[in-house]
Amino acid sequence: MKVKHFYILIFLSSMFFFSSCQKSSNTSDFIVIGIAQDVESINPLFAFSVDEGSICDLLYLGMIQHGWDDEKGEITSQPLLAREWTWSRDTSSVTINLRDDVKWTDGVKLTAEDVVYSFDIFSDPVVNSKFSGSFQKFYTDSSEHIIADKSFEMLTPYKLKINFRPHTHPNVFNIDIPILPKHIFEKIQRKDVPTADINFKPVSNGPYKLAGWDKNQSITLIADPGSFLYHKGIIGKIMFRIIPDYNSRLTQLKKGEIDLTELIKPEDAPSLKNSENIVIVPVKGREYEYAGWNNIDPENFNKQHKFIPNKFFGSAKVRQALSYAINKKEILEEYLHNYGQLSVGPVSPIFTKAVNPDLQPYPYNPDKARQLLNEAGWKDTDNDGILEKNRTEFSFDLYIPGGNPLRNYSATVIKNNLKNIGISVNIQTMELNTFLDNLFSKKFDAWIASWYIAIPIDLKMMWYSDFKNTPLNFQSYSNAQVDSILDNIEKSPREKELYQLYKQFQQILHNEEPVTFLYWIDDITAHNKRITKIDINPLGVIHHCWNWELKD
Amino acid sequence: MRENFGRAVLLRLISSLLILFFLITFLFFLLRISPGGPEQKFISPQLKPELMQKVRESFNLDKPVIVQYSAFLVNLIKGDFGVSYNYRKPVIDVIMDYLPFTLCFALIAVIVQLVFGFLLSFISIRKINSGTDRFISKFTLLLFSIPTFVAGVFLIYVFSEKIGVLPSSGLKSINHSEMNFAGQILDYIIHLVLPVITLCIGGIAVYYRYLRDNLEEIYNKPFVLHLRASGVSEKEITLKHVIPNALNPLITVTGIDLGLLLSGALITEVIFGLPGMGRLTVTAIFTRDYPLVVGCSFIAGVFIIVTNLAADILKAKIDKRLIKGISG
Repeated sequence: MKVKHFYILIFLSSMFFFSSCQKSSNTSDFIVIGIAQDVESINPLFAFSVDEGSICDLLYLGMIQHGWDDEKGEITSQPLLAREWTWSRDTSSVTINLRDDVKWTDGVKLTAEDVVYSFDIFSDPVVNSKFSGSFQKFYTDSSEHIIADKSFEMLTPYKLKINFRPHTHPNVFNIDIPILPKHIFEKIQRKDVPTADINFKPVSNGPYKLAGWDKNQSITLIADPGSFLYHKGIIGKIMFRIIPDYNSRLTQLKKGEIDLTELIKPEDAPSLKNSENIVIVPVKGREYEYAGWNNIDPENFNKQHKFIPNKFFGSAKVRQALSYAINKKEILEEYLHNYGQLSVGPVSPIFTKAVNPDLQPYPYNPDKARQLLNEAGWKDTDNDGILEKNRTEFSFDLYIPGGNPLRNYSATVIKNNLKNIGISVNIQTMELNTFLDNLFSKKFDAWIASWYIAIPIDLKMMWYSDFKNTPLNFQSYSNAQVDSILDNIEKSPREKELYQLYKQFQQILHNEEPVTFLYWIDDITAHNKRITKIDINPLGVIHHCWNWELKD
Repeated sequence: MRENFGRAVLLRLISSLLILFFLITFLFFLLRISPGGPEQKFISPQLKPELMQKVRESFNLDKPVIVQYSAFLVNLIKGDFGVSYNYRKPVIDVIMDYLPFTLCFALIAVIVQLVFGFLLSFISIRKINSGTDRFISKFTLLLFSIPTFVAGVFLIYVFSEKIGVLPSSGLKSINHSEMNFAGQILDYIIHLVLPVITLCIGGIAVYYRYLRDNLEEIYNKPFVLHLRASGVSEKEITLKHVIPNALNPLITVTGIDLGLLLSGALITEVIFGLPGMGRLTVTAIFTRDYPLVVGCSFIAGVFIIVTNLAADILKAKIDKRLIKGISG
């Protein structure tokens, strides 16, 4: 019996020993950020996901850094690798003075040659970088590869001039790319860049450098004392810890094993708020959910490539009726716990100058919905509770991708709301990739999806009527006036005129309601209170974290 | 006898190679006719839509499937599964990042299942139909019926969240690199305690059930009665006669179990954030990383075939009559 007690004692003491081995991250110069999955690349050329982008931003700086002005609802731009930049009077060129104190992690100095090389490699069609196809305002060849000789003039090692094609109206966003080391990349053949070793052993120029990448476990960055952004209070070490299970991330955050995690579910926010050491930061979102209505008939489009109005959703009156019939507020309150706001259109309320203040979301009004449907010719002639028109019952499949509880909830609310006005909805759940495949081929009549609005605002890819070049116009919306507005926006008019165009665009969309805009979803981040000077805004969470400090 | 054995193994290997070839060929075509594609992860408001088409072209997915297949076969002969679309590294290199952990995890899990399965079945068999036997039978049935994810979440709740003695996720602590060698080994062990328990509780019940029933059956055979009547000790009967006879079915189960575990233990890997083959394969499937899916499936197929073959060889070593069965 005594021997048994001895073994139990050994077991318990080893447990305590083990538990003491698990240090929490509460060290003075070290933070841990919990992320859901490992990144695939830390090369900015291929940093396609949000986490990849965030990590690359800390390793590879661009010439300009962006901030967010909450009051004006717009981006601000400050120098980073550039000391200053000057636009020519007609904005056809910009002269940039670079900092002369920036070194790559291998000790080589960063010069204007690196800048020119970076534009060249980012635009090279062989590389297929994340900015591929984004350099139309530069002098390019037929494959949209920048012609360096024509586009750049190197005035000194730290000063260059960038020339743009006439009448293309460039702005700071056109010169904002991460700068790559020419002396490293020029040794690699362009076709081999995607698989080169440099993707895993970066030579970088940022405030942090890679200290370790333990596949599917963690990525560790350490502050680079040689960086011009290094300062006394900078956090010395940042670990991105991969924790695929959401509940484990929350548990570790509460226990202080991690210091920050994003994408907190609204239902968990209250309990986190009550935790002593945790701060919840909801940021007005850039993601909106919508119920998509295909404005054209999918069968005719796919079989004969004909644009015939959809028998259900081809009429603006019907679409308005659907928007009146759906109780968006219920979903927002019940599921999102008010971490979001009702949506009027595709321009987020964060863009305070661009958003049209005269527009209000369609209120929940089933009577108005019934009236509009009646006016559009949809009547319950056989008294079976379902509306008919030309012997067609108003009954359709509503597709949602699997594995998203919010969409399941929204779809159920929509189904019940529409049943209430005589429309039968069958909810169909589909695997995400299959769902996307069908969206691209415009095979659905109706679906629920979400979309992020780009910063700076880009509406063309989703609302322009050239379906071939704007494949993301899943709803097949087509309006000549909207096309013209979007074309004019691209010409970068003066600020006042630009915002006027955005407002006109929203007004037209609101009148035609091509889809039912549901709500904007807040991005909720939770972090330990020991992190200070943290600036979370619509541009992201981790960017500029070299400014963060830790409480003693 | 020895020639027969070698011939049987050779025949089994040839048939296994054919199975593997058909498996990856079937997968190759299945992946390409299934909806979606690797370019779908490039849907983003920050990316130009034409990038998707360019990416398709860069992966040669715009070419006819038969052209893609012939290129795939040519590369396969050279031992090249291609480059993973996600990781931008050769498929074999990606798999090698995950395989060592999976090998260790699977072996530990099988050993734990076998040891505890044996222990419990011997406790049971010492007094068949006694209260202890009935309790263990019912208890293992209960363990078997607990889904892995429930067990995992429950263990995390108790040992990580409430008591706080074991880590809830990952393979090592954040200060792992600062530890000495012994500390690092201990760190790995502490991180594997909950995942191994989660993965094994169902398996222990299965092993227990197999072994207990076999032992009971053998103990009731007339030759055991004869040995007892001849005055052979109970210990000798058990070790020399009962256990060897009861092992055969267990070896088959272990072979299948080990093969499956080496292919990955998805749920356990996801709950505990472990870098195993299961997570790698499922992520590859969801992101339509075709070369990686084929590579992972090939490795899983090899493991299942090899572990089953090893089990058959082991059985034949114990019972020579089974040599014929090896050739499949």
